[in-house]
Amino acid sequence: MIVAPAVPVVRASHLSLRYGRTPALTDVAFTLGGGVTGLLGPNGAGKTTLLRIVATALTPDHGELTVLGADPRTEPGRLAVRRRLGYLPQDPGFHPAFTAFEFIDYVAILKELTDRRARHEEVCRVLAAVGLREHRGKKIRTLSGGMRQRVALAAALVGDPDLLVLDEPTVGLDPEQRLRFREVIAELGEGRSVLLSTHQTEEVMALCQRVVVLDRGQARFEGTPADLAALADGRVWTSGSRAPEALASWRAGSGRYRHVGEPPPGAELLEPTVEDGYLMLVDTTAQQEARG
Amino acid sequence: MTATEWHVPEAELRRYGERTMAPPVLWSTEAHLAACAACQDRLAELDPQAVAAGWARLDAELDAPVPGLVERLLTRAGVADHTARLLAATPVLRLSWVTAVVSTLALAALVAHLAHPVVFLATAPLLPLAGVAMSFGPRADPTYEISVVAPMHTFRLLLLRSSAVLAVTTVLSAAATLALPEFGLVALGWFLPALALTLASLALTARLGPVLAAASVALGWIALVTSTLGTGSGGSAAFVPVGQFATAVAGALAAVALARARRAFETPRRLR
Repeated sequence: MIVAPAVPVVRASHLSLRYGRTPALTDVAFTLGGGVTGLLGPNGAGKTTLLRIVATALTPDHGELTVLGADPRTEPGRLAVRRRLGYLPQDPGFHPAFTAFEFIDYVAILKELTDRRARHEEVCRVLAAVGLREHRGKKIRTLSGGMRQRVALAAALVGDPDLLVLDEPTVGLDPEQRLRFREVIAELGEGRSVLLSTHQTEEVMALCQRVVVLDRGQARFEGTPADLAALADGRVWTSGSRAPEALASWRAGSGRYRHVGEPPPGAELLEPTVEDGYLMLVDTTAQQEARG
Repeated sequence: MTATEWHVPEAELRRYGERTMAPPVLWSTEAHLAACAACQDRLAELDPQAVAAGWARLDAELDAPVPGLVERLLTRAGVADHTARLLAATPVLRLSWVTAVVSTLALAALVAHLAHPVVFLATAPLLPLAGVAMSFGPRADPTYEISVVAPMHTFRLLLLRSSAVLAVTTVLSAAATLALPEFGLVALGWFLPALALTLASLALTARLGPVLAAASVALGWIALVTSTLGTGSGGSAAFVPVGQFATAVAGALAAVALARARRAFETPRRLR
């Protein structure tokens, strides 16, 4: 069961950050409660930058941010957040000579677990949580991509954090590994807050109770996946031919065309999905911006 | 007194169950518990969860792989096991890097034999500088991002790794010094510059990042040595007593600057 925290786990308002002259985030606001929240957006939308800010790896140029009740812009606040945070970066690196056990043990030391026995127990616990206890003695370089990703997730779980920040956790995994990974993340979301970034709408449908859509550095939507799908209510159609005037039109597995936007003559209305809502949102915003 | 005559007092059993018992009493209690069924039963009555936790602890210890050679050597030398593991993760402390350092020192020593010691004296301080630059930061450390968001102070990790690199290069350079022709104390002229350059590079790392900081300091050092060539038996003003004194003062100032800049290492920044 998902327990909603009394106060938001993350509360962000007017967050802005630039890389030189390039704006990465502009006036972003969102709140994060319990369960799994998906940060959805195309590549380059600013998802990783936002996650790094929440994970205290970056400081925003402007804006207000509270994570787990602390202000990460101050040193004591940052330390308080880091003690209750688990972070899986987009491209987690490993020391090649380490085994899975040694690597997680190393991360446990970074997380201030210095007592050897307590640390080793914790390493065993998190390895078991991701189903890798049998592979604890293997060098990380010999593990498959999916297993490495699970090692990185296990490292994020050290210390039983209240907030998990996962940057594209299933990217590069095969369908079976992705399913297993989703299973683990869904289970984790039952006892804590999970913020994960993805550019896959199916991930949002499968895992998330809430979704924030980020596009070109701005938060365009915040709500439930059903709310996002509802943005395309009355705008999703099916017919036997392509509709050039639609926002998107493609031949589905059934052989019939699916259209989002303006319908061709004789088209039948369909129930929208999260993907349809996302397409409507991103394309409509792009058209509005193009019109100035 | 045999194991069957003596039993763990109840207060100690409770401490064991509450996991507040410290070594070496913990080890002797565990050894006794493993052999004494009566104490096992008393512990189970006192705290059934402690028995399960005890097995979990034992499992965890059995699951832990034997540490690598570097870690074993460090722990034998009295380094705490968690510090040894942090040091073992120093990116450059690998055979390939040690081989590169040994080769460079061997080449510099050979040139010293054939020509002049200044090449050796000028090269040796650059080795820890390069090692430190390759031990920290997003370009060198595969786990940099995880380290940065961990509660352990980044500055402590930086100092630990830098000390490890400095220790290794100092031992290797000292060994290479023995292979030099007889130059007296001048042959140790690399030591203070090695220390000072490393400290200066670390102090600048907070502002410039590890690579640019090390490159700037290295260029400054090369400029200093080449601009004062021909002075003293060491071949440069950097290796005469006054030069060594100035280097020591510069090193002390760099240490002060580094101490003052330590907070900057904990501040989130753009990855570079």
